Amino acid sequence: MEEEEIFKQRTDLSKLTATVDQIKASIGKIIVGQHETIDLLIAGILADGHILIEGVPGVAKTLTAKLIARSIDAKYSRIQFTPDLMPSDVLGTSVFNPKTVDFEFKRGPIFGNIVLIDEINRSPAKTQSALFEVMEERQVTIDGQRYAMEEPFLVLATQNPVEHEGTYRLPEAQLDRFLFKIEVKYPTFEEEVAIITQQHQQVATEQLAAINPVLSKEEIIALRKQVRSLHVEPKILEFVAKIAAETRNSKSLYLGASPRASLAIVNAAKAVAAIRGRDFVTPDDVIWVTPAVLRHRIMLTPDKEMEGVSPDEVIKQIIQKIEVPR
Amino acid sequence: MRYIFYLVLLTLSVNLALGSDVKKVIPKAPLIVKIDTAKNPSVRSFDKEILHKYSEQREFNYEGPATGTSWWAYFWDRFWDWFIHLFTVRGLGILGIIWNILWVLILLSGVAAIVYFILKASGVDLQDIFKRKSNAATVPYSEFFEDINNIDFDTEIENAVAKHNYRFAVRLLYLKCLKQLSDGGMIAWEIDKTNTQYIYEIKDQEQRTAFSSLTRQFEYVWYGEFLIDNQVYLTIAGSFRNFNQQKA
Repeated sequence: MEEEEIFKQRTDLSKLTATVDQIKASIGKIIVGQHETIDLLIAGILADGHILIEGVPGVAKTLTAKLIARSIDAKYSRIQFTPDLMPSDVLGTSVFNPKTVDFEFKRGPIFGNIVLIDEINRSPAKTQSALFEVMEERQVTIDGQRYAMEEPFLVLATQNPVEHEGTYRLPEAQLDRFLFKIEVKYPTFEEEVAIITQQHQQVATEQLAAINPVLSKEEIIALRKQVRSLHVEPKILEFVAKIAAETRNSKSLYLGASPRASLAIVNAAKAVAAIRGRDFVTPDDVIWVTPAVLRHRIMLTPDKEMEGVSPDEVIKQIIQKIEVPR
Repeated sequence: MRYIFYLVLLTLSVNLALGSDVKKVIPKAPLIVKIDTAKNPSVRSFDKEILHKYSEQREFNYEGPATGTSWWAYFWDRFWDWFIHLFTVRGLGILGIIWNILWVLILLSGVAAIVYFILKASGVDLQDIFKRKSNAATVPYSEFFEDINNIDFDTEIENAVAKHNYRFAVRLLYLKCLKQLSDGGMIAWEIDKTNTQYIYEIKDQEQRTAFSSLTRQFEYVWYGEFLIDNQVYLTIAGSFRNFNQQKA
């Protein structure tokens, strides 16, 4: 008996894996390297989560986010966060219409399917707070009126590391609303040579214009539904709960992971399993997504921060303490 | 080493504190004795009646209630005298300091030994005192094998197959395979390692591919909870057997 015969997938993931390959191929024409970033971005879209991309200036954070947005045939809007941006500039405001002698609500740029918020940490907490409701509840309440967001709704935000000039630390409540925080690193030497060559020959500019959407809104909704239905063995759920509990007991951490973080790990692991062509989650999927899910949700103790320990190192140590379910 | 250094510092500081009895030299003034040359000096004295009158008044009675040292205060006084005595200098120079350190170490060892024997005699597990208790819920033995070295795989697999628990039998087959790979030095068994990590630890390409296939089967059955019957189990068990033969 052949292996494929024995283990025939219960969920047909062929459409999903084909779409993912298509997105990767089209982005790969322009973005050199950054495979983990692209995988996490696709996993975030499939897991129905918002994504925060962090990196120093010039590592193609915004370009990657734009390309992902262009791969999806949906209403795309972009907001450049600045220090003087007001909540109404993001959400919208009621304007008096003399013809109808009534106030009319003018929708802000947040009313889109894919919203790219560039340099999100350039705005102070007042403007950040405007995003709380819309990111979690997918709705905006203004003047007592509730405006629901159209599905799919995805916030892709970019930010510079907080120690950079003119930036504000995002509130913890807002950080918790992001499924992933993806850290974009510098390219390797070979990758950098390839980037320079591409730009020098102006190949990237031509290919950027040629990027076509590969996913419609309806398809995204259908794929998300499929991902949600994937199987997770109870011991894997226990494994996730142990990771979250360990972050709360860790002496290196001042703030541990929330139950929302545990849910995020499970949802993200399901998306990764689907991308890898499986209709069930394995510990490898959980371990792979955990740093991206937790690194912005946990807070190091002051002494660990002074020692220069990174959240990723603490997360790694925490995972190493826990037995892999087998 | 660090603790010995701290102990030396502590001993020296106590010695210094106790031994720093610096005597101040006060210059002596020349003594001048005045001699009374009067022939009939008058001796003045207090009026006894007035003294008696004042002593009757409560305000001039300066004697407080009788205070005796309690046995508790007496015990602590004695204890601290004895404790400070432990740290006093027993000789000058380096030999005295070494003897001091040794004396303190002997005392501490004695105290530790007494505490140890008391705890042992009362049946207290010392590891429970120093280790933080795990909050993990207890998992039934049948589904939780922490140490693959202590499992009688053949018996357990037979039992699982007899109960038609093929999923569990496949799990045991995989754990047995991991144990054999670990015994053969092909992988380093650690509880926190994933199956993929073990795959990459196997250096021989052919064996890695074969083990990768076994891992996939195990993952589908165990994590994926695919239902398998006896026929499928026999197929999977056959591939595990082939791998073991190939390895040998």
